[in-house]
Amino acid sequence: MGDFDFVYITQTVGDGLLFGSTYALIGIGFTLIFGAMGKLNMTYAAASLGGAYVGLAAFTFVNAPALVVFLVSALASGIVGFIAYLTCFRFIPIHNHLAALMASIGGLFFIDEIVIHTTDGSPLTFPAMFEDVMFELGPLGIRGDLLFVFAVCIAATAGLLFVLYRSRLGLATRAVSQQDVAARLCGIDVHRTNAVTFVLAGLLGGIAGAMTAAAVGVLSPLITIPLTVKGLIVTVIGGLGSIPGAIVAGLMVGALENVFLYFRGVNERDMYVLLLLFVFLVFRPHGIFGSAISRD
Amino acid sequence: MLELQGLTKHFGGVKALNELDLTVEEGGIIGLIGPNGSGKSTAINLICGVYGETAGTVHFRGVLMNGKPPHQRLRAGIARTFQNIRLFPELTVWQNLWVAQNSPQDISRQRFLPRWFGTTRQARKEIADLLELADLAHKGDELASNLAFGEQRRLEFARAAAARPLLLLLDEPAAGMSRQEIDDLGQRIRRLRDSGVTILLVEHMMELVMGVTEQIAVLNFGHRIAFGTPGEVQSDRAVQEAYLGTDATESGPAGGSA
Amino acid sequence: MSYYLGLVQLIGIHTLLGLSAYVLMLTGQLSLGQAGFFAIGAYSAGILTVIFELPILPALLVGACIAAFFAFLVGFPALRVKGLMLVVATIAFGEFVRLFFFNLSWRVPRDGIEVGPDSTNGFREIRYFVANGWSAWEITTFVWVFVILVMVALWWMDRSRAGAVLRAVGEDELAAQSVGINLTAVKVTAMTAGGFIAGIGGALYAHTATYVDHLTFTVLLATFAISYPILGGLSSVIGTLVAVIFIQGVLVEGLRFLGDWRNIVFGLLIIAAMNLKPSGLFDARTARILKRAASLGRRG
Repeated sequence: MGDFDFVYITQTVGDGLLFGSTYALIGIGFTLIFGAMGKLNMTYAAASLGGAYVGLAAFTFVNAPALVVFLVSALASGIVGFIAYLTCFRFIPIHNHLAALMASIGGLFFIDEIVIHTTDGSPLTFPAMFEDVMFELGPLGIRGDLLFVFAVCIAATAGLLFVLYRSRLGLATRAVSQQDVAARLCGIDVHRTNAVTFVLAGLLGGIAGAMTAAAVGVLSPLITIPLTVKGLIVTVIGGLGSIPGAIVAGLMVGALENVFLYFRGVNERDMYVLLLLFVFLVFRPHGIFGSAISRD
Repeated sequence: MLELQGLTKHFGGVKALNELDLTVEEGGIIGLIGPNGSGKSTAINLICGVYGETAGTVHFRGVLMNGKPPHQRLRAGIARTFQNIRLFPELTVWQNLWVAQNSPQDISRQRFLPRWFGTTRQARKEIADLLELADLAHKGDELASNLAFGEQRRLEFARAAAARPLLLLLDEPAAGMSRQEIDDLGQRIRRLRDSGVTILLVEHMMELVMGVTEQIAVLNFGHRIAFGTPGEVQSDRAVQEAYLGTDATESGPAGGSA
Repeated sequence: MSYYLGLVQLIGIHTLLGLSAYVLMLTGQLSLGQAGFFAIGAYSAGILTVIFELPILPALLVGACIAAFFAFLVGFPALRVKGLMLVVATIAFGEFVRLFFFNLSWRVPRDGIEVGPDSTNGFREIRYFVANGWSAWEITTFVWVFVILVMVALWWMDRSRAGAVLRAVGEDELAAQSVGINLTAVKVTAMTAGGFIAGIGGALYAHTATYVDHLTFTVLLATFAISYPILGGLSSVIGTLVAVIFIQGVLVEGLRFLGDWRNIVFGLLIIAAMNLKPSGLFDARTARILKRAASLGRRG
């Protein structure tokens, strides 16, 4: 590797963009919860992968078909998201951000340890979808599994946006994220709305977790922290609380990550992704879509 | 001494301050008044460097201040107080003044180590004097958060004075004060002016403004609508309209001053 | 006996780690990257004694200075953001350092064997104390000399104007700026000091453990670092020491019988503690500063 080859680079960026859709989903999940509560749910990526593990169990033990695997993953992660809300956010005073942060870090370790304990810490193979399908596009090829991942992520995002912008539920969620006191005065049950946000984010995360596992081919507890960190980076680069930002940043991180992989190899790849965050902190600290306007 | 030219601030679509021109001469007490949301606090925050201006310039003693962070403006001689008192609540009264000794004299006079890790006798004496002036001499070791409201106002006033300002911006210092406390405040302001500090007083309380200021600028909806002596301003038609609101409803709402 | 001395050493080292977070927390900044500075101190000092065959003292000080230097560098971009954004930035920094050492391979022959950091396999031959015949007691004393030096220095700093300025920034940044305090300078200085202290801790850790690898320096370690001052409060450095003794000496040791399950219980304990006593673990003054440290940050 290392030679600059235009076709290869384009291929690399393309593959990365497709895979980046999973980061976008994770980023959207973080950003949704941040938007709703102004808090980071550190359990999120761990819960997403936890969901994927449950999906994997469905595949392994009852040989469930692909679609069911993803549904099970999403549902399981949604349930974990709800539990995370109950344990790490619901009963902690709303303005005590530190306690919520610490509790959710505790939740992250807890989920991670449960996974390590049940799998003995060893990586498990995750079924790939449409692995042998390849679309030709001139000199470029589109991997069937990545295209599938991308399509599912688009569908999931579209579903989320539909719920957020076309349903009463979504209206309440957006009201709470914009002005929670006013929302409360309008009779919106903030706790219920927040719980719904966590479940929505969880469903999304479960899909993302299963997609990540499907694209990589394995599930391992070693992925948890890197996925958490990448999700956070996507959230920050996109601008905290911005869904379009998370999408753009997710795709960007996916593409650049693949470029780094191409030039520097798998071991160094993530280092450059992390540096990317610092580049943003220097030149655009509020993210792509974040606004620097603040006035108290 | 202070010269604002075309000073403008927009928050998103809200025009909080529009092309404000204002010159403050050395040694006076200038009032800056206007109804709620007229841009008074925005003006203070722009002069201090808390906000970046959308357009216009701030000159202080002939030096362009645009782009300088607040601490540099303080060292140039611009100090302020806050509308909603902002002390360091968990520091003692004494420490609140101690951390504020950041004037160029303080920095150049003391060596690095004693300045940061010790106290010079002079620094201690100056703090004692400030406490004395603020009638807080016996409260030096109290936490600032334990002070009564009026005491907190006096401490914040003293903390601003601890930086040896040439220009002091007072942001509604009389808010929430009793008549007696306002009289006392008026005397403190005059005393400070007499010691050579120029004062820009942003205030709602007309009694205080009319009582102590020599010149007054009136803002409404981010525009300066009048400038003159208290007497002139009081008889100005535009000012009366702004305050009584005959014309105000037609101009539409402007951004609230924070 | 040596087992308990090992525990005493560990408590000392973790106290340094906690104090490195303490300094930063005084200014209202929450860093989840202290494990990174700890790692830099550990690897640098290890490389200096193993590859450059320096004595422990200069190696330790240089290692701490290298950690401080990186804290200084990271300080500028990281401190442009506040609150949760800073938490994310520092997590990213810590992971960056971990990955760097994951990739670092620098093997040189010494006395017939290859020594030095060996990427995934870790850095195994940090045997300065063994090679020089230090007893466990001597090592323990050596560790605690640094712990006490740092604690005394911080205690003294806390009572000086510098300490008051740090706390002023932690309490109200806008007011601090308005009385002429240079926020960037204060925060970067606190960050640098924190990096230096974590670096000392890391250097001591590498030499007492004789072996480090990238998995030592995870987000878990960084979480420990901030847990100590959170539990012990920001009133004084003693709180951090007490918290380390409680967590490492009582909790971690006491839960040892759980074996594999200990880590699971640990996560649950954090959740339970935060639910039952969200701010009762520390004093009111600490609570107020820390709540802000983890908030959105935009509100200052």
